[in-house]
Amino acid sequence: MDIVTLDKDKLNTSDSQNLKKNNGNVDKPVIKAPIAGKADKPNLGNSLDKKITMKDLKASDPRWCTGCGDYTILVGMRKFMVDNQLAPENTVHVSGIGCSGRVPHYLNTYGFHSIHGRAVPLSMGVVLSRPDLNVFIHSGDGDSISIGGNHLLHGIHKNFNCVYLMFDNQIYGLTKQQTSPTSRQGLVTQTQPTGSYLEPINPIKFALGLGASFVASTAEWMGAHLVATIDCAFKHNGFSFIHVAQRCPKFNPSAWNYQGSDWVTFLTHEAGVPADLKFAPDAKTIEHDPFDSESAFKYSVHTPNIFGVFYKEEKPVYNQIMADVVKNAPRYDRAKLLDGYLI
Amino acid sequence: MAKKNVMRFELLMDAGNGAQKAGDILIKTLAKSGRYVYIEPLIPAEISPPKRTPHSLSGAVIRVANQELTNIGSTTDLMLAEHEILLNRRLDDCDYSDSCIILLDMAEERRAKDAYASVIARSESVGLTVIPFFMDEGSLGIIKALHGNGKNMYYLGMLGALYEVPIGDLESAVNLTFKKLSEDKLAKNIEILKNGYGNALSVASETYDIAATDVASDSILLDGNTALASGIIDSGYKLYSGYPITPASTIMHHLAKIFPSYGGMVHQAEDEISAIGSAIGSYFAGVPAITGTSGPGLSLKQEFIGLAYAAEVPLVVIDVQRGGPSTGLPTRTEQTDLFAAVYGAHGDNAKVVISVANVEDCFYAPHVARYLAEKLRMPVFILSDYSTSVSYKVLPKLPVHQLDSIDTLSDSVLSRFFLKPLPDDIEMVKTNQSDPGVSDQMRRVTGLNTNEDGFVLYTSESNHRGHQVRNEKIHHVKRSLQIPDLIGDSSGDVLVIGWGSSRGVIIESVERLRADGINVSGLHFKIVYPLPLGLADVFSRFKKVVTVEMAYGDHFKPTPLVTLLRSETLFDVQNLISNATGRPLKPVDVIQKVKLLV
Repeated sequence: MDIVTLDKDKLNTSDSQNLKKNNGNVDKPVIKAPIAGKADKPNLGNSLDKKITMKDLKASDPRWCTGCGDYTILVGMRKFMVDNQLAPENTVHVSGIGCSGRVPHYLNTYGFHSIHGRAVPLSMGVVLSRPDLNVFIHSGDGDSISIGGNHLLHGIHKNFNCVYLMFDNQIYGLTKQQTSPTSRQGLVTQTQPTGSYLEPINPIKFALGLGASFVASTAEWMGAHLVATIDCAFKHNGFSFIHVAQRCPKFNPSAWNYQGSDWVTFLTHEAGVPADLKFAPDAKTIEHDPFDSESAFKYSVHTPNIFGVFYKEEKPVYNQIMADVVKNAPRYDRAKLLDGYLI
Repeated sequence: MAKKNVMRFELLMDAGNGAQKAGDILIKTLAKSGRYVYIEPLIPAEISPPKRTPHSLSGAVIRVANQELTNIGSTTDLMLAEHEILLNRRLDDCDYSDSCIILLDMAEERRAKDAYASVIARSESVGLTVIPFFMDEGSLGIIKALHGNGKNMYYLGMLGALYEVPIGDLESAVNLTFKKLSEDKLAKNIEILKNGYGNALSVASETYDIAATDVASDSILLDGNTALASGIIDSGYKLYSGYPITPASTIMHHLAKIFPSYGGMVHQAEDEISAIGSAIGSYFAGVPAITGTSGPGLSLKQEFIGLAYAAEVPLVVIDVQRGGPSTGLPTRTEQTDLFAAVYGAHGDNAKVVISVANVEDCFYAPHVARYLAEKLRMPVFILSDYSTSVSYKVLPKLPVHQLDSIDTLSDSVLSRFFLKPLPDDIEMVKTNQSDPGVSDQMRRVTGLNTNEDGFVLYTSESNHRGHQVRNEKIHHVKRSLQIPDLIGDSSGDVLVIGWGSSRGVIIESVERLRADGINVSGLHFKIVYPLPLGLADVFSRFKKVVTVEMAYGDHFKPTPLVTLLRSETLFDVQNLISNATGRPLKPVDVIQKVKLLV
């Protein structure tokens, strides 16, 4: 196997000359990919030296139900990648299990369709070892805050650099209509046929409460808002959490009134995302500074009827902290690895 | 002074009073003065259980010899006990030799006259000699000033004197170990050490001269988990992703201190599942990563292990086995994770399982595991166990390989595990296996069944092909394995088989039995799954084929290795020792049971 040997120092310092000086023993870096972080320098351009088009990003044909909101998320993601000319070979889409889990199969980039609820740890490994890659996580409501709740909690807390999309259709789809942690109270499902018992978890409060560095909410049927939100999240350095309201016509058609918009409120700001009045002409708009944590908490109680960037903050990024630990450690010589154990 | 070739002694103290520190200093100084040493720490799973209870036993069992040692041995010849409760607890294990001498600190005797009398009587009733002693008033005064600390220094001094360790060596080792103590406290500790050293001979009647050999000037002293950590660095992994669990944690502790200095990262994940997930993510992205755990963690990791197997992502998992099932015996040893490693994940799957017999193997297993994982693009296990993880050994300084790519791995490292290089072109389920960053080779991996192009497909033909290709990878290993060198002749009355940390016990038992004229041979597997071809031929040349394992077995339930060997060879392999005691196997037990067989 052709393993890429990466020298973390090379990835995370501009001062490679200085490193070389006190760093005789570091393994020779063999870096195949151009290096750039999500925030400071997106990994643009591609080896073909031609513009990436929507068509270039198609892989196999989606197998979702007719009318599924996942189609529009897929298209929105492609649109965002084309707008930014994101290099497909330097982009990794990671997912767990569920309808959302299939997204990587349909995008002609690198992808990892992993196991239920565990896309975050897998992405963490990708980002720690290859911070040059653009990493997107696709996860459903059950995948995110039921089976994957612990990982999402720690992904947000560690604030490693990625874009996280929580596809929220308020139901288990792929296993056929069971109550999810975001199902509205009273929703009749196969596992709670008298109506779902509990108040749903509020994913925006969850993320804000954990000190997330980027929290936004959007809806897949508001295409421009979706693409703008992904764009804003991508340009933030850290764990960018996006809640995406998503239709499931098969198992939870009443979850979202996507034909009306008088129930919608947009949070807008120049540092956030503009209102999408094309898809939501009757929506209200509130000017909200995403750096204002107190207001973010205040507006979060209106989830899931409120869309926009709730919160944004520059915080230490875990993969950078880890890279700095390596960068700042004194250099030891592997040839003398066992010398310390001489008796 | 009594001349001895080999002897085992132990220091028994309340947990938290420093028995382990004293043990460490003793083996280091013994090794420095040319003795071969082997240590088994006896540690409670709790941190500091109430003192003066049987649960607080913290002991250092040390075997010392003038020649190479491969195991901790069978029985103890000298014990030094802090008080009667610990001694009583330890007598329960029946680990003493017939002529065992017990040095018993009498400081607590005035509080527990009856208990002392009864434990001394118990010792004497089984033929042991009890030598009571008191620390001198000066030392007791200093210990009081140190708020009860420093007793271990007195005992260290006594044992150092009895085993003829130069006081200067002990002093410098204490100075080095406690360099963070204030000058005053350090001086007080040294004073207690010297008092113990000076008073030893007024307590015991003789010292033990275990003739110092000429230890090569470049000898090293290494324990199993430190050797594993060092091997991880030498074999070129760039990420260790783990979660704290006894007895694997010390690998992560050690790496956390030094891995960044070699360009590696140590990631402490939020749980065992996350830890392995990040290792898989890193390897998928083209950067070698490894995770380490113990039994309970292995159970949690299984779904991800199955994913790496199906998705064809290289992965290396260290499992330092402890006693099971469930939480079991966190600080005791066992060999019962074999099947969990080989077959653990659901569906048809199998993994290559490398085991480590000793400290040297610990250093080289990460190299071989990386080689196999990347050649086969599947999970590879390194199975160690508690006793190997904590056993220190003196050995000649091992050659380092400074591996960056598996292409430069020396065949000599593979042959240490009785493995020949694998074929160059090994078929994968998916033809494209490129790493992110390679243009025009974009690919998606998944746990779903796919065809050779990586597209999700549920046809019978494609699913069956997937199974065949994955299993064929394991078969490549089987064909590249050699039958391990037999210990003894290639035919005879009894063949004793084991794996992992039982190697030393098998070697010592077979050698001693053969010296008694018994026609027995030994066979030890380092790679336990798959097993080499041709085993049935080897077995057919012996009248009886038996295994020795630290795993439970009975008449209806064969031990794991017996089950495996029977299914591979259709031979009536029997279990000679199925010890689930949490303690290492003893040569004396193997010898006794083989003698009953012939």
